[in-house]
Amino acid sequence: MKKYILALSLIIVFILAVSAGAGEPTAAVEASVNQVLNVLKDPKLKGPDAKNIKTEKLRVIYKSMFDEMEFSRRTLTRNWKNFTPAERREFVDLFEQVLEKSYLDKILDYSDEKIVFYKETIIAKDKAEIQSKIITSSKEIPIDYRTILKDGKWKVYDVVVENVSLVQNYRTQFNEILADGTPEDLLKILRKKVKDQS
Amino acid sequence: MKHTLFLLVITTWLILFLAPPCAAVTQSTPEDKQTVSSSDDASGKEMEKAVDDTPASPYDDDEYGDDEYDYEDEPFSEERVTIDDPLEPVNRVANIFNDRMYFWVLKPVAQAYKFVAPEPARISVKNFFFHLGYPARFLNCLLQTDFAGAGEETGRFVINTIWGIGGLMDPAAGEKINLQKQDTDLGETLGVYGVGHGFYIVWPVFGPSSTRDSATFIDRHLLYPTSYFCPWYASTALTAFDYVNSASLRIGEYESLIGAAIDPYTAMRNAYVQYRLKSVKARRARSLLFRENEIRPSVTK
Repeated sequence: MKKYILALSLIIVFILAVSAGAGEPTAAVEASVNQVLNVLKDPKLKGPDAKNIKTEKLRVIYKSMFDEMEFSRRTLTRNWKNFTPAERREFVDLFEQVLEKSYLDKILDYSDEKIVFYKETIIAKDKAEIQSKIITSSKEIPIDYRTILKDGKWKVYDVVVENVSLVQNYRTQFNEILADGTPEDLLKILRKKVKDQS
Repeated sequence: MKHTLFLLVITTWLILFLAPPCAAVTQSTPEDKQTVSSSDDASGKEMEKAVDDTPASPYDDDEYGDDEYDYEDEPFSEERVTIDDPLEPVNRVANIFNDRMYFWVLKPVAQAYKFVAPEPARISVKNFFFHLGYPARFLNCLLQTDFAGAGEETGRFVINTIWGIGGLMDPAAGEKINLQKQDTDLGETLGVYGVGHGFYIVWPVFGPSSTRDSATFIDRHLLYPTSYFCPWYASTALTAFDYVNSASLRIGEYESLIGAAIDPYTAMRNAYVQYRLKSVKARRARSLLFRENEIRPSVTK
């Protein structure tokens, strides 16, 4: 009898452990997205003056949700070797600024669209893909998050919007520039872009 | 969100085209895996830069051979998605033309239209024009041997005509009935049959496409009821109205795409190729003839 109870409790523990593990990536991403929504919906932060405060808060969430290194390195792949450490640092920083300035206004324009997380696929022991949808009045936009497990935390390293991967898209652009240019050329273009965007 | 997170959406013309994604995906030749650099080196550097807040090793080590990324990304089927672009100079000119046309003509007209017409009305118009595309989608589903899809499209057509007031509403996509749009076209059909996408073409007015996807012109012209309106300018006017209406619902997407891009031309081309590739894969997975080839995972280690 005791053996059965032991076996049963072990099985239950394993099942719970597995199911807890299976939901972790989604839970992590969903938590971050909810934090973003809380900032966007906060009644105390309405109005144009609050924009800087909101931007700061969103930046903090972004840093905890995304793995900038993984993201940036994957856009360079082979070319990463050709960058000096100082150039790499500048690249990651500039790239983050480009992304922020490109997408911040769209995020701040959010107005009650529904976000639904509906599928999680564990690909490897440290990689998962989470599928979600943004449901607006006129359309549904599929957004997939690709996450990697690092230091016990699931972080996003690629976002796929309507079947188009951000990392892939930037990778192609950077490859073209670096095919006949040096890393410094790419950095110059990025610096100019950041300047033009502000 | 009105303007969605991390948007890389193709422009109106592209969506209306829906050329089939090409199956011709090139694999990068695997280079020799780089050996892991000595950890002593990395920790040594870390000691030196202890005062520095940012971690030194990720920027310094070459441990991450790029090949590792290629392999690890395979579960997501992220093969190197490329398309030949021999007409690049011509395409770039066409791209600039389309860009100007969007900002100088289409967008102002769409904004004015948006100002006078309420959103639900514009959504109904969009549904109506989409509804008219039933013959083309139905035929393409059959050609792709996606009989389930053909059935869904027919069901949608019937339900939306009767209960959707001639296609203005879309009750078929509602939760209870849940018949999904099978948004496909001749270019995708060719893709399912294994036709490569050929090379990249940017059509003036119509936008990004490829040699294969340009076949979509055929089914759009022959199978869309709007082409059969007798005075030619009537059918052109209707098509133009459809475009303006769609554009009015998507103002801001093109701007985000080029705003976020370092090189807009390449960004659009790559987004187009990725989008079509995934669409063709999805169609192939539904096709009775070809689905076995799709389900095999492509993980290599």
